[in-house]
This record gives sequence, structure tokens and C-alpha cells, in this order.
Amino acid sequence: MKNERALISRTSMEVATALVTGGVGAAVIWGAAEHDIGWGDSGPGSGYFPFRIGILIILASLTNLVLALRRRGFANEVFVTNAQMRSVLAFGLPILGFVVLSLLLGLYVAAILYLSFVMIFQGGYRPLFAIGLAFAVAVAMRLIFPIWFKVPLLTGPIEALLGLY
Amino acid sequence: MANLDSLFHGFAVALTLQHVALMMIGVLLGILVGVLPGLGAPNGVTLLLPLTYTMDPVGAIILLTSMYWGALFGGSTTSILFNIPGEPSSVATTFDGHPMAKQGRAIQALSFAFLSAGFGAMVGVIVTTLLSGWVTSFALQFSSPEFFAVYFLAFASFVGLSGAQASKTIVSILLGFAFATVGMDTISGSLRLTFGFDELLRGISFLIVVIGLFGIGELLLTMEEGLKFEGVKAKVSLAGVMETLVRMPRYWVALVRGSLIGVWMGITPGGPTAASFMSYGLAKRFSRRREHFGTGEPEGVIAPETADHGAGTAAMLPMLALGIPGSATAAVMMGGLMIWGLNPGPMLFIERPDFVWGLIASMYIGNVVAVVLVLATVPLFASILRIPFAIIGPLIVVVCFIGAWTVGASKPDLWIALIFGVIGYVFKKLDYPIAPLVLALVLGDKAEDAFRQSMLMSQGSLNIFFSNPLVGTITTLAVILLTWPLWMSLIRRAHLLRITQPKVVE
Repeated sequence: MKNERALISRTSMEVATALVTGGVGAAVIWGAAEHDIGWGDSGPGSGYFPFRIGILIILASLTNLVLALRRRGFANEVFVTNAQMRSVLAFGLPILGFVVLSLLLGLYVAAILYLSFVMIFQGGYRPLFAIGLAFAVAVAMRLIFPIWFKVPLLTGPIEALLGLY
Repeated sequence: MANLDSLFHGFAVALTLQHVALMMIGVLLGILVGVLPGLGAPNGVTLLLPLTYTMDPVGAIILLTSMYWGALFGGSTTSILFNIPGEPSSVATTFDGHPMAKQGRAIQALSFAFLSAGFGAMVGVIVTTLLSGWVTSFALQFSSPEFFAVYFLAFASFVGLSGAQASKTIVSILLGFAFATVGMDTISGSLRLTFGFDELLRGISFLIVVIGLFGIGELLLTMEEGLKFEGVKAKVSLAGVMETLVRMPRYWVALVRGSLIGVWMGITPGGPTAASFMSYGLAKRFSRRREHFGTGEPEGVIAPETADHGAGTAAMLPMLALGIPGSATAAVMMGGLMIWGLNPGPMLFIERPDFVWGLIASMYIGNVVAVVLVLATVPLFASILRIPFAIIGPLIVVVCFIGAWTVGASKPDLWIALIFGVIGYVFKKLDYPIAPLVLALVLGDKAEDAFRQSMLMSQGSLNIFFSNPLVGTITTLAVILLTWPLWMSLIRRAHLLRITQPKVVE
């Protein structure tokens, strides 16, 4: 089947991950180097521990890199197929949208928009049902968090406009 | 015995109406997160934690631990009825539990699972009760080098005991340590690894990381697998449960072995997942009915369940007595302890005996409550899984991000949760273990402090970790565990060489 075609092979993902973790290691070293990485007046400086952690991250990442390239079993293994990637993105991209909306409009409005969108366009539910359910969730959020547990949630300009805090 | 005395005091603390009510709420919420895919024990406890900031610590810890027990039980329900492990630690339960359910023996499978889980948990609590006094008095002699050595031992045992590739476990641990150093340095007060981003001043909260790794990451994986719930209907009847209860003693070997494995893996931070697999594997190897395993053998349900819960409860012992959590969930709870202003470790037993013994007593009661509640609510929670994933999935996403917000009311946390969701997805697919990362993140500051204090004491010489028999033994043990995979591969290679000697070895 065409859909089952491998999009990314296991080897390339192993290599990419090892490079990224190695990069994090380098960043840690770089960040630690802004501080005292040696012996300060009061013992080890604040860069001492992270600097060494950074070096170890790079060493372990290199090991992973070498092992990934040498392991023949990985060559035929698939990290993700086209079809899998599509369903991950179909689920993941709306989450990204939800985060952006939350930061702009607050969690309530974002949750209503996100839930309605996903249920109507991906779940195939009737708009009335989906929007109704989404509003019910927002009401539940309001009851549970700010009212019962006294933990306020992120609100946005729309709540301010409506006078709901 | 002093421990028994303290335990009775604990029962007095735990057995108030309010605390029993919290237990029941915790267990029910726990079953819910255990049943729902993408929400597991670590994540569930994380989501609930911000709501306990203002509660009294005893009530709060009872709520959270009860949730943990509930989640462990809930994970088994879905394993058996739907062949979908609600928790990683109940994967092994699917092997025989689901076939049993398909053969119309769902009620037996569930009863076996819950009763043996309850048994494993009881052994875990009893061991915790008996050993805590001893471990604490032992740990009271510790100073910085010993503490660092014990942390080192905990992480070394991850490398040595987990099945994952050692260098991947090491990367995971080190990344946790690196993320822990972000933000304000507790000793010098300088800002580290913020790279000019003011958002990172407060550091990276382990709670956000858990929500990302265990929540969002798990959901992405679930989506990719194209989840289908095809469950087996189960009717729970008291007679069915009783019938199973009568047959339980027949499997005493599996029960005892499972408990021992579980308790061991819980105390050394191997965790419930490794324990359940190990117990299943051993049960299969030593069973006379070996060939029936995988087709619906009760022993194949009993073995992993006992170990899973034994490990879950025993993981509380090192958390309380040493300040080293034995599982990812225990790590989150330990973080909670610190947030409530308690200091996990031996001093906790002296400063807050009401808290410690209240908790331990609540573990006895909580597990009994959990067994009863989980049996009573099987049909209810099974029906939740019949709600289509197109509704449940996005709802879980919303809950996760609400959780991420409630941790610290900070906007960047939402991004951090999302980023760790992607990391969790990739790491899981590539077999990077993620529990060590969480543990390292929780213990990072304490480990660094212990290390710096030790270096200060020794003027920078690593010899301090061998300076007395106690610390020397712990360090040596840790080094052996750390290099364990290396020894094993050397032995295997030597063995192979011997076998293939006549041939030319490439």
C-alpha cells in the first residue's frame, strides 16, 4: 500500500535525535561557560556542575550516534509512515493552534474554539452538538477551577470585554 | 515495636471522615486517569497537584497517593477488557488478561487482577512499615557525600536494570539534570542557562515536563496507532469475585514471587513497569503450564499485577526515608512534598511523624478501598471508553494544558509542555526511557547541592566518595550497576567467541 510508505527511517531519526541531544549538551556547556566553571571562592562555581553535565551529554549522544549508524537492524526499520505522520499531524497541529489561541484569547475561548473545530471537522459531529459540548466544558472549567478550587485560569480580552473575570 | 506504635497513631490520623472521603475521591479520579489513554498515574497526579497547594499536607498526600493506587487499578481494567494498557505498567496484563476476557472469563480476569494487585500492594505497604524505621536511622548518618552516592546509585540502577540501551538511559538522565539547572542557582543566586530568555528565570518545572512527556506525548502515540476500542462487556457479580477469591491461594507461588520482585523494583528505582514485565517473564519460565501463557492463563494475570502494585507502593519507602522516589509518579509526589514545604528524607520521620505514618496507614486503607471501588465501578468506567476518541482525545488535551497553566500561572509553560510532548513522542518511539529524565529533574538541585557540598568538604577530590565504608560501599555498588550492561556484553562476547571458535570470527 502506498500509504504505508516509510516517511522517515529509524536510522535517520536516531541520528537526528542524537544530534539534537548533542546540541543541547553543547548549549549547556555554552551556558555554563558564562559562569564560573571551576573552583570559586566558596567551592565549585555555579557553572561547575552544568559544564560537566554538558560534556557528558555530548559524549553519550556521540555513543548513540555511533551505535545508530552501526546497528544494521535500524536500516530497515521505519520510524513513521506517511499514514501515521498524517494522523499525528491531524491531532498535533490543532493542539499547536490551541496553545497559540490560549495565549492570545485565554484558555476558555481557546478550549471552545479548539473543541468545536476538532469535533466538527475531524470527528464529524453536528455543529450544534459540538459547540454545545464545548461550551459545557468551558462552564465546567469555570466551576471547577476558579470557583471550587480558587485557581484562576488564563483569561483573555473577550472575558474582559464581557466583564467575566 | 516502635514502628507498630507509630502505625497505630497513623491509623488515627488516616481514619477520619475527611481523609477517608479524600481517599475515595482520589481512587475514583485515579481509576479515571488510569482508564483514559494518554492520562496515566504520573500525569494524573501532576494535574491534581496544583489543586492541593492550599490543602493540609496529610490530606493532600492521601488524595494523591490514593489517586496513584486508583490509576494502577484502572490501567488493568482497560488492559483486560479492551486490550489497551491504560498504564505502561499494565502492558504485561494484556497478554493473558485480554484472552481470558474474550473467552468469557472477564470477571475472573478482573478479579484475579485486582485481588492479586491488592495482595502485592499489601506486601509493599507491610515492607514499607517494617523497613522505614531501619532505613531512616541508617539514613540519619548520611551527610552530603552519602546522599550524593545514593542519588548516584539510584540513577546507576536505572542504567543497569532497565532494558533500554545504556547510553540512551544516560542521555535521558543527563538531560533531566541539565534542565534542572535552568534558572536561579540555589547556592550562588546567579541565573544559569536562561540564554537571555526571561521566561526561563523560574526554571523548568518538572510538573510541566511530566504533562508534556506523559500526557501530550502519549496522546500523539495513541493517535498514530489509530486507536480502536473493541471492548469485552463484563458483568461484575459478587459470586464471581468470591469464586476467584477462593481460587487465589492456589497461585501462592506467583503471588509471593510477584510481590518480592515488585517490592525490590519499587525500592531500587526500577519502577512498576519493569517489575511487571520481569514478574511475567519469570512466571512464564517457571510455570508448568508455560505453553498456556498468552492464551488466558490466570497466572499470567496474577504475576504482573502483583509486581506492578508491589512496586508502586514500595516506591514510597525510598521517597519518604531517603528522598529518592522509586517511580516517576513517586517523583511527582516528592516534588509535591517540597512544594507543601516538607523535606523528604530521614528528618521527615522525626519532624512530621503524623504525616509519614498517616500516609503509611492510609496506604493500607486506601488499597482496600481501591480494590472494592474498582470492582464496583468496572461497568461505569468501561462505558467511558465507549465514548469516541474524537471527543475524549481533545478533552484530555484541554485538561493537560489547563494543568500546565495551574502549575505556575505562567504563559511560557504552555509552550514548554507542547515541546516536551514532541520530545516524549520521539523518545518513546526511539526507546529512550523517560522516567529517568523526570527523576533527574526532580532530584537535580538536591543532587547538585550534595555534589558541591561534597566537593567543598574534600577540596575537589572525588576520593570523598570512597572516604568511609558506608559511602564507599554505596559508590562501588553504583559503579557496578552503572557498568553492568558493559560487563554483560563482554561476557556474552566471550561466550560467543568460545562457541564459534572453530569458525573465523568476523
